Amino acid sequence: MALPEAVAALVRDGDTVALEGFTHLIPVAAGHEIIRQGRRDLTLVRMTPDLVYDQLIGAGCARKLVFSWGGNPGVGSLHRFRDAVERQWPLPLELEEHSHAGMANRYVAGASGLPFAVLRGYHGTDLSSHTVVRPIECPFTGEVLTAVPALNPDVTVIHAQRADRRGNVQLWGITGVQKEAVLAARRSLVTVEEVVDTLDPRPGAVVLPSWVVTAVAAVPGGARPSYAQGYYDRDNDAYRAWDAVSRDRAAFTAWLEAL
Amino acid sequence: MSVITRAEVCVVACAEVWRGDGEILASPIGLVPSIAARLARATFAPDLLLSDGEAYLTQGTWAIGGTPPVIEGWIPFRAVFDLLYTGRRHVMMGPSQIDRYGNANISAIGDFARPTRALLGVRGAPGNTVNHPTSYWVPRHGHRSFVAAVDMVSGVGYDRAAANPAAGRYHEIRRVVSNLGVFDFGTADHRMRLVSVHPGVTVDEIVAATGFELTVPADVPQTRLPTDAELALIREVIDPASVRAREVEG
Repeated sequence: MALPEAVAALVRDGDTVALEGFTHLIPVAAGHEIIRQGRRDLTLVRMTPDLVYDQLIGAGCARKLVFSWGGNPGVGSLHRFRDAVERQWPLPLELEEHSHAGMANRYVAGASGLPFAVLRGYHGTDLSSHTVVRPIECPFTGEVLTAVPALNPDVTVIHAQRADRRGNVQLWGITGVQKEAVLAARRSLVTVEEVVDTLDPRPGAVVLPSWVVTAVAAVPGGARPSYAQGYYDRDNDAYRAWDAVSRDRAAFTAWLEAL
Repeated sequence: MSVITRAEVCVVACAEVWRGDGEILASPIGLVPSIAARLARATFAPDLLLSDGEAYLTQGTWAIGGTPPVIEGWIPFRAVFDLLYTGRRHVMMGPSQIDRYGNANISAIGDFARPTRALLGVRGAPGNTVNHPTSYWVPRHGHRSFVAAVDMVSGVGYDRAAANPAAGRYHEIRRVVSNLGVFDFGTADHRMRLVSVHPGVTVDEIVAATGFELTVPADVPQTRLPTDAELALIREVIDPASVRAREVEG
């Protein structure tokens, strides 16, 4: 499927959308397509939102962000994100903040078809009063733990190195929670560097069978300026250059018009 | 050796937090803690596990911005939780605000619903602080960082842990290192205590720069100086470009 078609078919206004990726394999091209198609009122979910979420937020696509870290890695703040949170520009942005482990466990619960996950954490922080968690007593030991609700995105979007012609997907290198995020989602879109005849095995690779993937779109370079191991390196200059664009509404608006 | 800089004293003071930890994962967040953890492993804490900050466990000692000489293991994001949940990790984080009980804020300045400054998020702090030892590095000690009450408790301090047994079970804030001195919580009610002052800093300066009442023992020693061997490692191996001087003046 072509990317514009796939986004049009799978991502709808008001959806809860997770574009996952961790340092590596960030689905940037798909995020840009969501901006171009003018999606609105999205609840954006990601453990570690970076530039593409800054862009989606600045473009007015998002109503709410569910996250545990938000920044320009190695550079600093996301200024479109901060402008939305601190000054409601272009729109107010509701935040639902969790810990890293909280987010990972929420995806795992969603992928497992369970209503919640359990972890030790959140106790004693102010997060408990600002986010969606509940204390829960262990039925075996009596220890009080934290329950975090399952995350089940309407659609999860990830970028991977390869898919075969039947739609089986393979990604390797640094992976985050892409597998869980896809399994937890009602629909999923995977952009890939290339479609190949056969997926030869790779040590440590994550393989997603075609029956958990709704659509695959070949988008070479779709993770730039992040990287795709085995295909291209991270463009660190682009991350640094984003800082100046992100800091300034006019510069950002010009960027958006050029997209 | 030429004149020892404040940054070098801070590196050694940060390295000291991992002394005696044995074979656990040291997770330094930020520049000075990263230099420090590599120094600790290269000298008095050889069993520490260190990652490249992304997904590899590494052997050897390498430069900031450089490539580790030997990859010894694969520890992607999800695998860090396996160590974290079982207490086999000691993290050093950089809070924007910290209070007398070690509550730390890395999430938002001001009202959480409408912050004046949205920071990067609580990240691992809620879990780290209740699962394994945590230390803190604060490069700019002052009334904005050492505060009477933090705006949003992201990492749990001793009063919160005491009031909440579920949080207290594995809780330990080992040390706080700032550009002025070293602190711990070794008092009866776990209020922050001055452990040592860096060379060239007075106790009065630290008290004046702290936004809460600090426990100050009768005799406060000076933070120990780096040894010649440590200086050589810092200057020639780990941070030859002297990036540390940009984080700590003097």
